Amino acid sequence: MNDVKRVLFSAVVVLVVSVGLVFGGEVKGGGYDESVVMIRSVKQDYDYVTPWKQTAMSQGVGTGFVIDGKRILTNAHNVSNYRYIELKKVGVAKRYPARVAFVGHDCDLAVISPDDASFFEGTVALEFAGLPEVNTTVSTYGFPLGGTDISVTEGVVSRIQMDSYSHSGADSHLVIQTDAAINPGNSGGPVMQGGKVVGVAFQGLRQADNIGYLIPTTVIEHFLKDVEDGTYDGFGSMGVMLYPGLHSASYKDYLKVPEEEDGVVVIETMMHSSVEELLRPGDVITRIDDYDVDNDGMVEIYGLNLHLSEVVEGKQIGEKVGVTIYREGEKKEVMATVALNRPVLEYSREYDKSPRYVCFAGLVFTPVTRNYLETWGSDWITDIPFSLRYLFTNSMQLNTDRERKEYVVLSEVLADEVNAYSGGFKSGVVESVNGVEIWSLGDLNKAFKERGDEFYVLKFMGDTRALSIDAKKARGRQQVILQNYGVPAGARLEEQL
Amino acid sequence: MKTRTLLVIGLCVVGVLSLPARGEESGAADTQEKLKESLVYLEVSSYGYDPRMPWRHTDISQRSCYGCAVGEYEVLTTAWNVRDSGFVKVRKFGQNEFLRGEVKVVDYESNLCLIEIDPNEAQGAMKPVVFAPEYEKGAEVQCYWLSGDGRMESGRGFIDRAEVYKSTASFEKFVNYVVANVSQRTSLGQVYCLGAEAMGIACWTNDNKEAGLIPAETVNRFLEDVEKGGYQGFGAVGFVTTELIDPAMRSYLRMPQSVKNGVYVNEVYSLGTGSDVLKVSDVILSIDGLEIDSHGRFSHVEYKELSLEYLVTSKRAGEQIVFGVWREGERAEIPAKVKGTRAGEMLVPYYEYDRQPEYVVTGGFVFQKLTREYMQQWGEQWAGRVSPHLYHYYRDMAFKPSDERRDIVILSYVLPAEINLGYQDMGQAVVAKFNGVTVRSIADVSAAQKANPDSKYDVVELEMDNPKVVIPREQLAGADAMIARNYGIGKLANVAAED
Repeated sequence: MNDVKRVLFSAVVVLVVSVGLVFGGEVKGGGYDESVVMIRSVKQDYDYVTPWKQTAMSQGVGTGFVIDGKRILTNAHNVSNYRYIELKKVGVAKRYPARVAFVGHDCDLAVISPDDASFFEGTVALEFAGLPEVNTTVSTYGFPLGGTDISVTEGVVSRIQMDSYSHSGADSHLVIQTDAAINPGNSGGPVMQGGKVVGVAFQGLRQADNIGYLIPTTVIEHFLKDVEDGTYDGFGSMGVMLYPGLHSASYKDYLKVPEEEDGVVVIETMMHSSVEELLRPGDVITRIDDYDVDNDGMVEIYGLNLHLSEVVEGKQIGEKVGVTIYREGEKKEVMATVALNRPVLEYSREYDKSPRYVCFAGLVFTPVTRNYLETWGSDWITDIPFSLRYLFTNSMQLNTDRERKEYVVLSEVLADEVNAYSGGFKSGVVESVNGVEIWSLGDLNKAFKERGDEFYVLKFMGDTRALSIDAKKARGRQQVILQNYGVPAGARLEEQL
Repeated sequence: MKTRTLLVIGLCVVGVLSLPARGEESGAADTQEKLKESLVYLEVSSYGYDPRMPWRHTDISQRSCYGCAVGEYEVLTTAWNVRDSGFVKVRKFGQNEFLRGEVKVVDYESNLCLIEIDPNEAQGAMKPVVFAPEYEKGAEVQCYWLSGDGRMESGRGFIDRAEVYKSTASFEKFVNYVVANVSQRTSLGQVYCLGAEAMGIACWTNDNKEAGLIPAETVNRFLEDVEKGGYQGFGAVGFVTTELIDPAMRSYLRMPQSVKNGVYVNEVYSLGTGSDVLKVSDVILSIDGLEIDSHGRFSHVEYKELSLEYLVTSKRAGEQIVFGVWREGERAEIPAKVKGTRAGEMLVPYYEYDRQPEYVVTGGFVFQKLTREYMQQWGEQWAGRVSPHLYHYYRDMAFKPSDERRDIVILSYVLPAEINLGYQDMGQAVVAKFNGVTVRSIADVSAAQKANPDSKYDVVELEMDNPKVVIPREQLAGADAMIARNYGIGKLANVAAED
């Protein structure tokens, strides 16, 4: 039974690591008043069930700090889906409206710029240091709950490891764990050691006391280098599933890897990934660039024992990484290209994009995204209908269609005589329309434009029933339905930023 | 009309009700007196297997329940009462000592069980209860049972309706009488009587003060078939229907406007009645000449509106049934043979009462047959918690075994030992091949262990992006002995003989 509990528990933990926090014994002042700024933002999220609508607005307070090039660095979650941002300097009453210059939701970082460049008069840009040593003291600066002045808290670096970033919900990068409790408002604030920034405070662990997390400068530097060309591309990966199975001497022998070599086993490559043609199941990765891979898949890097993906994390999209493998007893060197390599059903939450949809015959269709699934509430992973859960968990294994761009779901039924019997199909993932497979929202839109058949017969995944829509009647009712329900257009096929 | 009047009175003037009830009291007392020679108290020791550690029994638990004589030395109760029974004790009215009961026939689908008592130990014959197929909507009924402390107990309620319900113990749907406003919670085999006539035994209860009865018609058919010997059971439904009320769908199926009834077949199993003759997108218009409406109901002479499952599950396996269908734009009459479905035949069995789950432990890798009971370990919300790949076989394929796949065999988890280093976190994975042999059942795992005699390794391939499991054969005997000792496993495999 233990195994079962652990599986369930781990599912819970992923969801619990959450929003930005920091708190502690407050120390007044601290010497970085010219660099640390308060960020107030007004946000408005999208409604992923009826995607032409937006939800109620909310306001938040976070922290940012001045860096070189007249820029302010903060967390992406402080400014995601923003409608308005204003900055406030310490001890200065004036408010400065600002906008987001670059945002990396996968690494929870953003660069923002005040509209008025005079903001930077009297400010001092902070410099970055490398990774701090474990068991050294760091100070966090910011504007946490409980006051409006800048607050300083001290803590010790407890460990440095790969962990998930809760803003996107699915990305994993290096984090620094500190015992300084982190509270809302601290997010985006600099964490200092020896006068330099060693991290950005960004999240805490809700279940535990005094476990706060910082984004280390390795991640920050990756982000800042990425945006040098004017666009943010994001962190790449190799697009491969690995298994640390070589602790088994038999498995090692079976895969014909010499006894003295350590490494990890390739289980599968992702469809369309940059290594799809280079690696195959059963390959064993023993070395990546200049780092030896051990049987846990770890390498010695920055003086730390970290997962081999940290080597890839240091690279920008399009850069190469050298991979040494054993295949059928033969040692090979391959050069893999770092690419985004995202699954067909994206695990990460999306921000700053108005969701796409098709509305036909009062049936609202939208791509299956994590945002859509999260509309089921905090227990969404167990509460969502089975077909959606199966796809979310296993889309990489279940999708065999190379043409597929996404999964499309019937998110809502705008009641009308033409769809009076469609209610039971809500939340179903569209498989086909009149026998034509649907691999994207665009495919669906095209299918409804076909005028050859008397009916549109929709099939949904994991559902043996069929939904039949009278084509002529549906076309006749289209404008009336859009008007009745205030839907601005029959489709939005492009994301609008 | 009479029924409606009675109900209204029942709601408004509770006091008045006691008048007719009092009038019947002497009748009820007589019935109770007569039943002293028929009712028994049952104590069942339940001793099932732990689905997580199938080599091990669960803790013993005691279950109190009730039965009635249907022969001089035969007792009827529900199948649910005797599931996983290790020992059944029977006590008659006025006796102190328990008698040993032997389960003679148990049918989890109809939820009925016949228990035998050794005549030499019985200290006299019992008086069989005769079940009469009486149904009178709105009528007051009494229920009787012999309690654990030897008292004759009774309660009452009103027959509210007859409806098709999923059997408490199984996946199949049978007609139940629903008694409303019951004075006592009854679900454990208490006998319900309409006047002096026994009309059914209690099989479920709910928070709305209702009790479900297995009616006399089901009981009598069960008893007749047991009497005949070679018990085959009732029919099982081998297809799934969905209501057909959408005019667009009817028109798509080319059904003329004049045909207003019929229910859509959206799934056909490979087990059960109709599985061999029906097709997806058939519309069932009638069964045995009785018209099926667009919600899948028909009009029963006595019970009025009833779900079509009744027309299958009220028949014996082996009887004939005729489906009137709308198929590909035409009417057709399709005769078929009524077939039963046993849980063991399912791809993912609904239950495995009374038998040890099948498994093979080798090198610490625990291979098991996937069953619903196995997945229920994830608690009440197991459907949302268990690995979706495992659940999908139950949800979408449970009634669709094939020659290529009779069972789903999973690597449940790994008992850590040196031989399985590197694999110890694995589990909940479906086995595709063992030593290159496609695994269709647990028996295949045992057989495949003998394949490739020259190979150094047993190699297991799993579904859904899992590593291959490589087990060194040379170390296996020693490791298995150590694992069996360490983890207290008496028997490293339980593989059922071919059915």
